[in-house]
Amino acid sequence: MCVRVLLVEDDERIRQALGLALSDEGFSVDEAGSGEEALHRLETESFDVVLVDLTLPGVDGLEVVRTLRARGDLPIIVVTARTDACDVIAGLEAGADDYVTKPLMASVLAARVRALLRRRGPGRESVRIGALEIRPQEGLVHRAGERVHLTRTEFRLLLELAGAGGRIVTREQLLQKVWGYDYFGDTRLLDVHIRRLRRKIEANPDDPELLLTVRGTGYRIRS
Amino acid sequence: MKLTLRCRVTLSFGFGLLVVTSVLAFATWNLASGYMLRQREASATRQAEVNVRLVERSLASPGLDELLTGLTTGPDSSILVLGREGLVRAGREVEPSQLPAGLLERPPGTERITVDGLPMLAVARPVAGDAVYVELFGLQQLNRSFTFLGAVLVAGTIGSALLGAALGSWASKRALKPLAELNSAAGRIAGGDLHARLPDQDDPDLAALAAKFNSTAHALEQRALRDARFASDVSHELRSPLTTMVNAGAVLRRRRDHLPGTAGTALELLTSEVDRFARMVVDLLEISRADQTDDYEPEELDLSALVRNVIATRWSAVPVDAGPVRVLGDRRRLDRVLANLVENAERHAGGAIFVAVSRAGDRARVEVEDDGPGVPEALREQIFERFARGRPGSRGDDSGSGLGLALVREHVQRHRGRVWVEDRFPRGARFVVELPALTKS
Repeated sequence: MCVRVLLVEDDERIRQALGLALSDEGFSVDEAGSGEEALHRLETESFDVVLVDLTLPGVDGLEVVRTLRARGDLPIIVVTARTDACDVIAGLEAGADDYVTKPLMASVLAARVRALLRRRGPGRESVRIGALEIRPQEGLVHRAGERVHLTRTEFRLLLELAGAGGRIVTREQLLQKVWGYDYFGDTRLLDVHIRRLRRKIEANPDDPELLLTVRGTGYRIRS
Repeated sequence: MKLTLRCRVTLSFGFGLLVVTSVLAFATWNLASGYMLRQREASATRQAEVNVRLVERSLASPGLDELLTGLTTGPDSSILVLGREGLVRAGREVEPSQLPAGLLERPPGTERITVDGLPMLAVARPVAGDAVYVELFGLQQLNRSFTFLGAVLVAGTIGSALLGAALGSWASKRALKPLAELNSAAGRIAGGDLHARLPDQDDPDLAALAAKFNSTAHALEQRALRDARFASDVSHELRSPLTTMVNAGAVLRRRRDHLPGTAGTALELLTSEVDRFARMVVDLLEISRADQTDDYEPEELDLSALVRNVIATRWSAVPVDAGPVRVLGDRRRLDRVLANLVENAERHAGGAIFVAVSRAGDRARVEVEDDGPGVPEALREQIFERFARGRPGSRGDDSGSGLGLALVREHVQRHRGRVWVEDRFPRGARFVVELPALTKS
């Protein structure tokens, strides 16, 4: 099945070049030149992944990400020309699953999209951690009987940690297993996702009881 | 050795007060002791005169002995009457030879003398023509008072000198406090914290200095912000067309077969240069960012795990020998350092052949070895400069940005570390990065 990608980018030349290169990589690429257009198209059509440039005229990229995240767990990759920590973190906090910085190569982007869409292997038994119940087969998480809405990436991250059964999972392992590409030191991606996950599963995200940080190494789930 | 200003102020306060109080103490001592002595002499003289009259009346009578005994005032006092009949005395035993001769020969007189080690006041009076009445009054009481007074005055003098020193120290500390603040604020600015400001000063002498300092710091901060914004804008402006070029290039390269011959070669040249240009811009932007903004986020990490991970991800064939060493560092930058060193070895020496992580005292060491042609002595500094291209005589492919090693040095220095290159036996080069290690906690 052909992966449908929506490319939201205001610079027409980039849009064309990236569109062509991504098509070469085997994706079906649709283009949107503004945030409004993107949001409108996403209401009526379905895509597998959205690539959003952060600096858009009108409704900016962050707003698009936030709106999409409020609607559901559609995988989002943020594209940014600014590599300052705050821009990257803002994009991830808004709900993006991953980010790439310009000048980006279509091949790299393609690898990340594939990693993001990769299906999990055969489902496992459901896992219980404290008040949390994870059902990998259905992709559902319940906290004290109530459903918790996690994005695909957050779910995979939680499952990876839960699967270790209380052992420490290093940051490198998490980056490789969850995002699946050649990890290159940028742990902001992981930090922000851990923060997002804690907000959803912890009673008090500032004083986590389930998802514990192991300083200098990684994370583990309290078993 | 030059004393600090504070030390000098403290000393001069202490010394000044010492001088003033010792003059005062000396004057007090003189006045008080003189006065007390005169009082004692006056009362002794009065008493002696009364006694003389009594003695005069009963000089010839046999009760003189008893009278004298009755007249003595204490264990230390003695009375001697030297007449033609000889010596009559009472109280403490004192020989006339122990008394000054002048006093006995030419009464009346008063003198302070020491008898058997005891201070005495001797009062002599002529009695009935040729006899001499001498009465000795003990002065121990008075001497004790003098000792006490002296002790009080000395203690007071020392105390006030110490008080003066303390006052001087406190006053100079207060007076120099703005200077200390200025020093710390200037230090923070020099260290890169452009938000450092001096607090508002009430004192008009200091307000001008503080205001000038703060406005300078503000101007500096604005300048740095402008520069950072400019770098960020340039970054954005360059990255966008590069994205187009790189991806258009990728599309073309995929269709390389449709363009045989000259056009194909030209296409190859164009796309490879575009890729190199993109790398150069990314490195250039990173190095200028390292100059200006500070997104350095150090965390405690295990250097050996980091090195193993980078090598395993991209150069799994390179052997690694890594012992655990914890450092405080920024993962992204340290990854970059290692990757750049290995890439550099690939480009100029056919690839790294060994990577080691070890601990040497309080330093963590990362070594990247190759068996290429090595780096000539003269170039060992130069290769870490920006745009220092290729090593002469190496078979470098010239596809790098020319900034790789400069970035390495930039990042290593940011971690308060050092990087250098040395010879490896029997051939090749060894790049060494040393970072401050964390002690095991």
